[in-house]
Amino acid sequence: MEINGKNVQVLYGDYIAVKDMSIHLKKGEITTIIGPNGSGKSTILKAITRLLKYRKGTVLIDQKDILSFGSKELAKQIGVLPQSHTAPPDFKVKDLVGYGRIPYQSFGKKNKEEDERIINWAMKTTGVYDLREKSITQCSGGEAQRVWIATVLAQQPEMMFLDEPTTYLDISHQLDTMKLVKKLNKESGIGVVMVLHDLGQALEVSDRIIVMKHGEKYAEGTPEEVVTRKMMKDVYNVDCDIVWIEGRKKPLIVYREI
Amino acid sequence: MKSAKNVYGVLKVGTVAIALLIILVILCLVSISVGSAGYSIPEILQQITKEGNNPVKVIVLNLRLPRILLAIMIGACLSTSGALLQSVMKNPLADPGTIGVSAGAATAASTIILLFPTMTGSLPLFAFGGAALACFLIYSMAWKQGVDPTRIILSGVAINSVLGAYTSLLQMLNSDSLQGVLAFMNGSLSGKSWYEVRILAVYSIIGLVLSFGCIKSANALQLGDEMAKSLGIKVNLSRIILSAEAAYLAASTVAMVGMIGFVGLVVPHIARILVGSNYKVMIPVSILLGADILLFADTIGRSIVPGMEIPVGIVMAVCGGPFFLYMLRKKGAHYGN
Repeated sequence: MEINGKNVQVLYGDYIAVKDMSIHLKKGEITTIIGPNGSGKSTILKAITRLLKYRKGTVLIDQKDILSFGSKELAKQIGVLPQSHTAPPDFKVKDLVGYGRIPYQSFGKKNKEEDERIINWAMKTTGVYDLREKSITQCSGGEAQRVWIATVLAQQPEMMFLDEPTTYLDISHQLDTMKLVKKLNKESGIGVVMVLHDLGQALEVSDRIIVMKHGEKYAEGTPEEVVTRKMMKDVYNVDCDIVWIEGRKKPLIVYREI
Repeated sequence: MKSAKNVYGVLKVGTVAIALLIILVILCLVSISVGSAGYSIPEILQQITKEGNNPVKVIVLNLRLPRILLAIMIGACLSTSGALLQSVMKNPLADPGTIGVSAGAATAASTIILLFPTMTGSLPLFAFGGAALACFLIYSMAWKQGVDPTRIILSGVAINSVLGAYTSLLQMLNSDSLQGVLAFMNGSLSGKSWYEVRILAVYSIIGLVLSFGCIKSANALQLGDEMAKSLGIKVNLSRIILSAEAAYLAASTVAMVGMIGFVGLVVPHIARILVGSNYKVMIPVSILLGADILLFADTIGRSIVPGMEIPVGIVMAVCGGPFFLYMLRKKGAHYGN
């Protein structure tokens, strides 16, 4: 599956959040969108997943206009974990993951066994199967994030969009979440598109990185191509060195001492 | 009871539902025997099965029984309406009043009773129409590329206050003939007959059955708009359908017996504390609980002070408030966090 956004423009009132951006996403890859606050990275993620209306441009999923998809039909193709999501405190993990099956259910039409099988698979894959009878508030922040990812996974999407999946998590849960994303991508070939703030993590897990600045694409390419001293200075106005350490496949960003 | 609780302290639905049903049966039996003339159940049974008319038969079959049925249906409808609206608004304070049902019905009713008293016979029709109109007005004012809960609540506040001012003015100008209006405002089941039961039965059965079709979207809306949308739920459409369903349920009861506050607000919360927020169990429990509570309130209202009727709306507010606070402190320790 491929997603092609062409000349997408998004406005909030008069404010241009995304100017004129083309974006190409492929199944099987992990793509990360990075950029400073207000650069439009969450906005473009929402626009290409139809959570937000775009003013100009087109978004195609496999040559088909995203606007022509039925809402359930679209939810079977792409799964989105938005930044803001809530659940009533007493919702059970297995029920929450079960909502991922909504796109496959219609009034009076339900395949209970199939749904159950996929809900269990999603919970096992994300490692929350043992928590299934617990309520969402009894889960730690990291566990809860995995439960939400399981919900998206239960949609059986070909591509999964995660908007800042590690924000508010401590470092161990951040790394766990990144490991899970990598594992899902490797094992089931699901395409992952993320918005991340942590550049180190973006470097580590991404196949491709898109850098945004002022609502436009600044650069795109492999992590090594994109994350450079010049980019860090231009986009974030930060001085740093990109350092290679023996035994590590990816470079590290070393910021100038404060 | 320990074994019936799951990890979150939420009770098992089956246990709660059976308990509520038993309470309902007991309340019905009590309600049918108490009143200005008290009869025992065997006495009632004996008299009812007799041929011909006798006072017991008339009182029980023509006065008390329809009243019990009305209380049950109204309680069920109002609580379901409130439950749906709390999901639509993502706001625990939402109730049928929020979307203008009460204010709209009151405006129409006051106008008819005070200005066009000859048309009082069609009061239910006008009250229903007024409620629907106010609700429509609030939603069209709130519409801006979709319905946002905050905008609905705010435009509701504005329109409710305009309608409230109009109703107050009308009452001031006609302060000599307020009795009918007051009875409507403080919703009372007094003097209702099988006629109202039959009409409300049709409306409420349709409404309650339809409410079960709202469960999935009501649940999904609780996950946040973006999450619901990405699960393939049409968020705006769902909000409108759920609101329309809630308005219909509430307006049907308001049209028949006037305004009864508090049920729609409080019953869904108690149901949530008992069985959790999953609408699949919350709606049925709200229906039973609403029926129980309203029947209880009405029975108290007509029997506590001999020779005088306290409107059910007032009893609801007086008993319901403290009971709800008790539930919130005692059982809802996690609730609202």
